[in-house]
Amino acid sequence: MSRKQRSIDRVKDMVYQCNRCAHCFDLSWLGEWNKCPAYRYGTFESYTGRGRFFIARALVDGVMDYDADIAARVFACTECRACAEHCFKYLRTTDIYAAMKEDLAERGLVPPKLAAGLADEGGLGQYHNVYQAPHAERLAWLPERARVDKPADVVFFVGCTSAYARQNMALDTYNLLEKFGVDFTVLSDEWCCGHPYLAAGETDKARASIEHNLEAIKKVGATQMVFNCPGCQRAFRDDWRQLAGQPAPFVAQHVIELLADWVTRGKIGVQRFRPKTIVTYHDPCVLGRWMGIYDAPRDLITAIPGLSLVEMPRHRRDAYCCGAGGMIRYDFEEMANLAGAERIAEAGSVGAEIMLSACPACVMQLQQSRQRAKSRMKVMDITELLERQLVPLIKGGFA
Amino acid sequence: MSTLVEELAAICGAQSVSDKLVDRICHTRDCGPTPGGIPAVVVRPRTTQQVSEIVKFANRVKTPIFIWGRSTTFIGHGIREGCILMALDLMNKIEKMDFDNQVVTVGTGAIWHAVDVELGKHGWELAAPGPGGLFVCTMGGSIAYNAVPHGLLEYGMTGDGVVTLEVVLPNGEIIYTGSMGNRAAGGLSFERYANGPDLAGLFIGSCGVFGVITKVSFKINRKPEEECFAFYGFDRLDIAVDAAHALQRRQVPTHLVGLFGGPKPTGVAGDAFLHIVIRDSATCAGERLAAAHAICSGLNGIRHDESATEKYWVNHMYSWLRNTPPEVYYSDRPYTCPEAAMFMPTQKVKDAICYLNNYEKEHAEEFSRYGIRIKAYDVYFSRNAAFLWIDTLYPELDPEAWKYGVKMRADYSAHLFREFASPGGILAPLAPHIMPKLEGGFEFLKFLKNQMDPNHILNPGVLMLGDHQ
Repeated sequence: MSRKQRSIDRVKDMVYQCNRCAHCFDLSWLGEWNKCPAYRYGTFESYTGRGRFFIARALVDGVMDYDADIAARVFACTECRACAEHCFKYLRTTDIYAAMKEDLAERGLVPPKLAAGLADEGGLGQYHNVYQAPHAERLAWLPERARVDKPADVVFFVGCTSAYARQNMALDTYNLLEKFGVDFTVLSDEWCCGHPYLAAGETDKARASIEHNLEAIKKVGATQMVFNCPGCQRAFRDDWRQLAGQPAPFVAQHVIELLADWVTRGKIGVQRFRPKTIVTYHDPCVLGRWMGIYDAPRDLITAIPGLSLVEMPRHRRDAYCCGAGGMIRYDFEEMANLAGAERIAEAGSVGAEIMLSACPACVMQLQQSRQRAKSRMKVMDITELLERQLVPLIKGGFA
Repeated sequence: MSTLVEELAAICGAQSVSDKLVDRICHTRDCGPTPGGIPAVVVRPRTTQQVSEIVKFANRVKTPIFIWGRSTTFIGHGIREGCILMALDLMNKIEKMDFDNQVVTVGTGAIWHAVDVELGKHGWELAAPGPGGLFVCTMGGSIAYNAVPHGLLEYGMTGDGVVTLEVVLPNGEIIYTGSMGNRAAGGLSFERYANGPDLAGLFIGSCGVFGVITKVSFKINRKPEEECFAFYGFDRLDIAVDAAHALQRRQVPTHLVGLFGGPKPTGVAGDAFLHIVIRDSATCAGERLAAAHAICSGLNGIRHDESATEKYWVNHMYSWLRNTPPEVYYSDRPYTCPEAAMFMPTQKVKDAICYLNNYEKEHAEEFSRYGIRIKAYDVYFSRNAAFLWIDTLYPELDPEAWKYGVKMRADYSAHLFREFASPGGILAPLAPHIMPKLEGGFEFLKFLKNQMDPNHILNPGVLMLGDHQ
């Protein structure tokens, strides 16, 4: 491949815009806190945002060429976007990493376990989910199939993790929508949202996966999509816009956005949580920094009597990645464990009895980290909490 | 694995050494326009003893060491091809917050603002709020460069806050300055000027050419009760400078910033501007603020909404000096700043700005051709003088514009250093414009360097000292 065709050359302007200020390194305004899980793990500057920009500039200038060392730095990124959040020049740093990933994928330099996990045979390409489980079992969690593929206003896009690894979350979301009278359906031929492909630089495959799902959604005539996974939501809300040059023809919302709206408008009742409990909330990177949804989960938590929300030192735009992002667990398991352990310890340090989040991948990662840490704190998805605590006010469904 | 890597790994552990290009490439330059060479190896010691061993090893193999804190100046680090790059980021612990003796002791790699935040949890703060890069710069690096901090007028230079230092000399020996030097008495950090000569002074502002600062004890103060702000515009530069001079002589502000070039603050009247920050007890702050208003209004200053000043001070974002949110101000790109900055007598600011404006007029064709912009001619006023930042911008993607931007900095520096100005921090690109002018002082520094560092190991060439090339 000639250098003119490289993705990194397309974003050359932005590469040259980094002024190397190092604001992507840490969170000094909070004290001595880590900001970047990859830097925490790799410890050399090449793992930071500035480091990746140094590398990108060396690539653009022809001082370096792609190799396994560069791949290790780029694919160690959890895509948490903490570097972009405080970039002094407001650069979309992840656009640079995405370009480098595309080039690395083109050269067969995707780390081996991730490459195998997404392979066309024996991987995501074959099974259409990242757990290599049979596609036919995607809706195995469903209590009954009346809602499958039926014409409806709303599609509940389940996502791989809810469908296969954390099925209680799928069921909680399903029950919430049903409880509040939403006219919704689920798709029998739902594929992975394409998010993992993007994390691996496989843009064309991501596009194909989203296109497949969009066709399936069109068939049921829906105008709205509801998610409990921020990664899936982003794929349809934002990534598709970038891939296709136009927005998806649906409103794409996280279920907590819907619920928070209904609660704040007094359309949903809230039951007291007993006993009184201290909770903290982990901002999923994709929901928070990528999509700017910080208030909805907090509005819901604080609306529930009996719960006391205590923030961790790193929260909202400063939240620390749990280590689940960027599909890093495939090839950087130690790093994922390090980040998860740090986040669990942080939640424990504020006295939380329950750690809530709003992302199946984060919750799964934090639950595993909690077990390794032998912490007594409970980790749960906010949909589980809401399924218990929210009740309808208007008989006969939701207006 | 190269010999360099093996030997350094034996000192620091293999996990702290890398000769991979992907790691070395990240240590070639600071925020400035001047590219440096690629180091042969990156090593990251965790202890002073390891620093000492690395320096001794470098002497044995006659390979220069370049010292790396966070490398956030806009001048140019001057890193040489094939050197040992010693990054001090792992030596970042806050070792002791000594409220009795009003001193904090930290590892050299501790981040300035992170230390301040930890002190703030106890109602204390560093005696200087830190330089422009306070969110990211290291304590040791800022002292080695003697960066100009916020609060310059009342708190002085970064170096003024230093109590004691632990330093590894170019031969690998470890020394302690001030009261810490008395090892028999426990090496306590409480007084800079104890035990004779001010050894700390040798290492402040000398950018690591005489030693590696490995530990810092810095003055701390109780946080003041009150902070108040004022923002004035003036129709004429000379009147604004006179107002600043009057404020200086009465020691009214804690921090005084003048805006004398570049974009004007959004939505306010005037041609030159002063931002005034006052920090004190509740009673005294009010009196000082009243004095500031009296001086500025007496010189026909136009009072503006001081919330811009407050936002600048509280958020440490320069954009607010121009009453502009950071997301608007800093997303203007892709420009790089070949910064030049210098001290001068306060009244000479008028001449300096006049020179810079004339330069722009005389070179209007080149400015237009290369897309040169004026980002700021801003002044931080000290107790009795002025520190002028000449911040121009060139488009980084254009190699010809880069050449012109660097030449422009050289022109400013050559002229102003000859007339009445002297730089604060000096790094490689500025050194040729000032060091020879120091005459006997430069000769003495060369003598010191040759005596202390005969193998020219530490940061050679950065101050035109120890330069084999």
